[in-house]
Amino acid sequence: VATAVRQSHGKVETDEELDNRYIAYFERPNIDGWEIRKAMNDLTGEDLVPEPKIIIAALKACRRLNDFSLAVRYLESVQWKCGNQKDKIWPYIHQEIKPTLDELGILTPEEMGYDKPELALQSVYDM
Amino acid sequence: MSNSLLRVVSRIKVPQRAISSTPVFSSNIVLDQRLKDEIYPKIGNREVVGFGINGQATYIDKGAFPCPAIRFKEDTPEILKLREKEKGDWKSLSLEEKKELYRASFCQTYSEMHAPTGEWKAFAAALLFAFVGAGWLMAFVKKVVYPPPPSTITRDWQEAQLQKMLDQEQGIIAGVSSKWDYEKLEWKK
Repeated sequence: VATAVRQSHGKVETDEELDNRYIAYFERPNIDGWEIRKAMNDLTGEDLVPEPKIIIAALKACRRLNDFSLAVRYLESVQWKCGNQKDKIWPYIHQEIKPTLDELGILTPEEMGYDKPELALQSVYDM
Repeated sequence: MSNSLLRVVSRIKVPQRAISSTPVFSSNIVLDQRLKDEIYPKIGNREVVGFGINGQATYIDKGAFPCPAIRFKEDTPEILKLREKEKGDWKSLSLEEKKELYRASFCQTYSEMHAPTGEWKAFAAALLFAFVGAGWLMAFVKKVVYPPPPSTITRDWQEAQLQKMLDQEQGIIAGVSSKWDYEKLEWKK
């Protein structure tokens, strides 16, 4: 499935180009918090589940920025992007990124206990 | 007022120094004083961490935008101590500390964001009440508003009417009497 970078005219980016673009962005040694968050928001907005290699680059960037919760948040967003195919896609992704998770000490949302709701937030419409 | 954080983007660059010995990167966003005066009275002591959804320095939980513009909780000394610990090996953080860090930056987890609210029950109840109300309305209208039905509607009248039509041989060629067998006095098969 090819995705267009901009509008309907012009060159359409291939999957590998998209992967490499994001990996190169996350692998920049002096990426900062602003940029990594922008990349994660953009990547979540793309119509795809990111490849494990992009996720690994993002997790390593979180480690460089010393932000653990951002890594877990991003893993949650990847799970959400799987949609209703989560039980087909997530095991594969988890298997591919497990070495990185173990190396960096990042927990998956299940291991954190966040696969089920933990706290309840009162709706503003009920106040 | 919108995109108040857009002006900050230009500040986040590696400084163009002729001689630079160390790579400079900051995980903290530096705001100029004017932006600080604009934003901080509204958000309190919370750290601005990114562009967010639209450049406003607000916290929003949205599935499509994992990273909001500001952290959720204010920076207290305990949290700052945890952040220091975060700079070391993450395996040395206990599960409680990891959860603490997550909740400091984020309000709801994804499963909490998308948890079912049970709101559909309110709609179903309202719908059933509407049905019941409609039923009451129909009963009232039938009893009070409508005139009595015409007498020609009753079964007896219609049977007598049919008998009269057969007696008068109405429709004897192709109509109702053509289907009546006058010898056997029953309907033709």
